[in-house]
Amino acid sequence: MLDNASGKVVSLEGALTVDKAAGLKEELGKAIASSSLVLVDLSSAEDMDLACLQAIYAAAADSLGRGGRLGFRGKLSSRIARRLAACGFVSAPRERAEGLEDELAGFPRAGA
Amino acid sequence: MLDQFKSTFKEEAYELLASLEDTFLELESAPLNGELVNAAFRAIHTIKGSAAMFGFDTVSRFSHEFETVLDLCRSGTLSISKDFIGLALKGRDYLRRLMDFDEPVSEEIQAEAEPLLERLKDFAGKASPAKPAEAALSSGGGAGGPSEGESAVTATYRIGLKPSRDIFKNGTKVLSLVEELVALGQADVFPHTEEIPGLAALDPESCYCWWDIILTTDADENAMRDVFIFVAEEAGLKIEKLADASDAAAKKLGDILVDRGAATPEVIRAALGTQRKLGDVLVERNVVSRQQIEAALVEQQHMKKVQERSEGAVGSIRVASDKLDSLVDLVGELVTLQARLSRTSFDLMDGQLSSISEQFERLISQLRDNTMSIRMLPIGSTFNRFRRVVRDLSLELGKECELVTEGAETELDKTVIEKLGDPLVHIIRNSIDHGLERPEGRAAAGKQGTGTIKLSALHSGAYVLIRVSDDGRGLDREAIRAKAVERGLISAGQEMTEQETMQLIFAPGFSTAKVVTTVSGRGVGMDVVKREIDSLGGSVQLDSSPGQGTTVTLKIPLTLAIIEGLLVRIAQEYFVVPLSTVDGCIEIPRQDLSAMGERRIISYRDEFVPFILLRELFGSGDGEEGEEPEIEQMVIASAQDARVGFVVDQVIGDNQTVIKPIGRLYRDVEGISGATILGDGTVALILDINRLAAMVQREGAKGTAGAAGAI
Repeated sequence: MLDNASGKVVSLEGALTVDKAAGLKEELGKAIASSSLVLVDLSSAEDMDLACLQAIYAAAADSLGRGGRLGFRGKLSSRIARRLAACGFVSAPRERAEGLEDELAGFPRAGA
Repeated sequence: MLDQFKSTFKEEAYELLASLEDTFLELESAPLNGELVNAAFRAIHTIKGSAAMFGFDTVSRFSHEFETVLDLCRSGTLSISKDFIGLALKGRDYLRRLMDFDEPVSEEIQAEAEPLLERLKDFAGKASPAKPAEAALSSGGGAGGPSEGESAVTATYRIGLKPSRDIFKNGTKVLSLVEELVALGQADVFPHTEEIPGLAALDPESCYCWWDIILTTDADENAMRDVFIFVAEEAGLKIEKLADASDAAAKKLGDILVDRGAATPEVIRAALGTQRKLGDVLVERNVVSRQQIEAALVEQQHMKKVQERSEGAVGSIRVASDKLDSLVDLVGELVTLQARLSRTSFDLMDGQLSSISEQFERLISQLRDNTMSIRMLPIGSTFNRFRRVVRDLSLELGKECELVTEGAETELDKTVIEKLGDPLVHIIRNSIDHGLERPEGRAAAGKQGTGTIKLSALHSGAYVLIRVSDDGRGLDREAIRAKAVERGLISAGQEMTEQETMQLIFAPGFSTAKVVTTVSGRGVGMDVVKREIDSLGGSVQLDSSPGQGTTVTLKIPLTLAIIEGLLVRIAQEYFVVPLSTVDGCIEIPRQDLSAMGERRIISYRDEFVPFILLRELFGSGDGEEGEEPEIEQMVIASAQDARVGFVVDQVIGDNQTVIKPIGRLYRDVEGISGATILGDGTVALILDINRLAAMVQREGAKGTAGAAGAI
């Protein structure tokens, strides 16, 4: 789990549908360029589609390539928690996003 | 008659509540599993109905409230959280407790339901209206699934879902479709994310993920295709039926990879020839990716679960266990009678009678094996009980802990299993309380935050080895020594081997815990474990590495009813040595034995083996010096991981030994574990080889004439 005190925070809100993926890609790109530690705050996110999830995976891979890390924080909405579990990204729904980066299937992480 | 029905209801309710506990524990790690939610609902529904029918009104009323909340979970309006599972388990415990009382249940017991009911209502109040997909997901009965009472054929499918890159462009929500698909049954899902590029190359409107899904469902293939009916072309759906429920079998990893077209049989054979893990070799050789291996392992695990469930559904009938005990007693009597017949036919030298006796012996032998096999139960039935122990205790102690079990299918006599429950609970509680560090301690030691308790069972000859291992801090030998000195169990300078030091934890009243908790630290427990295991004719072994963890190994005999024995004679008395402990028999002239004096050690198969004269130990044939044979016989037995010799007058031969308990008067006699009746009606005592071996070691192989006292 990442220490969230010193990272750049990207807060996501509402339903993260495919039409928001391009904006998210850009925002994450700026964040990883400016900080070696990026935290995606999911506490205000209600739902998430695959397109946005892919953008986060891509940003995590880039961050890792630069020697940084991308992690998560905040309370997960039950909708997102259930969706991630049902689609095999995590083994069971979880209440909080902290540490999600260590559990998400195939998520870019050091040594993986 | 009503009493008989009530008793049958209680028996069934106990079983339902036991399986309900397992279901809730499984749900905790798989809260989306609709099949499990349905199973929990059905169990409570059945208890409610039967309880009302037989006048258990308090049980029925409480079950009704419980059922209402479970129904909300079933319809998807209430999410299953860790908190909910905690409450559900408490509700289940309360129902189990209610079953122990007859109606009318006292007000005090009824009052215990109030806080539980309030919390159940709280949960029900939090439920939100279900969205269609959520409802389907939780109920596990989406489109194509049969309704309750409708029969359907369950089968397992391998589903490849590889959406086209453009699938987002027509507004398809891929994750919703995956959710809808897996809601059709019990699924294990493996997402492939390896094709997601870096940000620079990422087209936010392209789909890079795909899935391997193993789905066991009673829905047909059309129902699965219907999920993707509007995106049939873009979904890249490939469905293969792996097996029907009745013929589900877990394949080897190599076979799965061949089935999937990921590798050829020749490549698999070549990789297997390296004697290394197949997956590692194939990844190293770039035959498959790590993700392909993981997806194949997911399939293997899924099929294993389906297979286990289908094997568990083999037709069976319910028989009261006391009837089974009577049957075993009768078979025991038959074995004894057969021995008498065999002896009589030998004495009479009647060929016809001998022939009948031999046929009779063969039949009795088969009857004995069949009867004993009926009493054998998989130890997994006990393992399940420990999931709850681990869950509750780790919560109570603020430690994160996972229980891993292996060899649940290992079979043991039901009496042995019943007696093993409490000792194993003691050991597991000790492992969690004393063995596992708190998360911060584990982090400091470079370990994962979650500790592991591994419970395994495997057959080893006439024994079952049950191991409880933890990956905690290991036994602190210095602390054990210091405490033993403080308690006066050993002297300050006493030399001891590592094993001897560790065995001190089994001494009565021993504990190194600095703080007395509700769990342990009162010094009660491990001595009880040792005593219980001894009473089963088993032994306890400890292995521990500092910082790595501790393993407690219980060596338990398969059965306590009828064993293969080696009949021996000392003077006019007969004894039985359990054949499973016998390593060999040798002869020694009496004068050689006498020449050894007090130094009773012989060389046997390049090993020095201490021995004991049972004639001396049991005071047999006192005053009948002339009866001692010129050539003594020695039975070499293995006990406590060492060999020990027992000198007897005569080794007679093998004996079907029906174990009878010895009277209260003889219960404390060291070295005797039971008795049996021989063919001529005489009584033979069964030697407790573990205890005798311990005595020999204690006495430093000097002989202990009269130590046990005459019998």
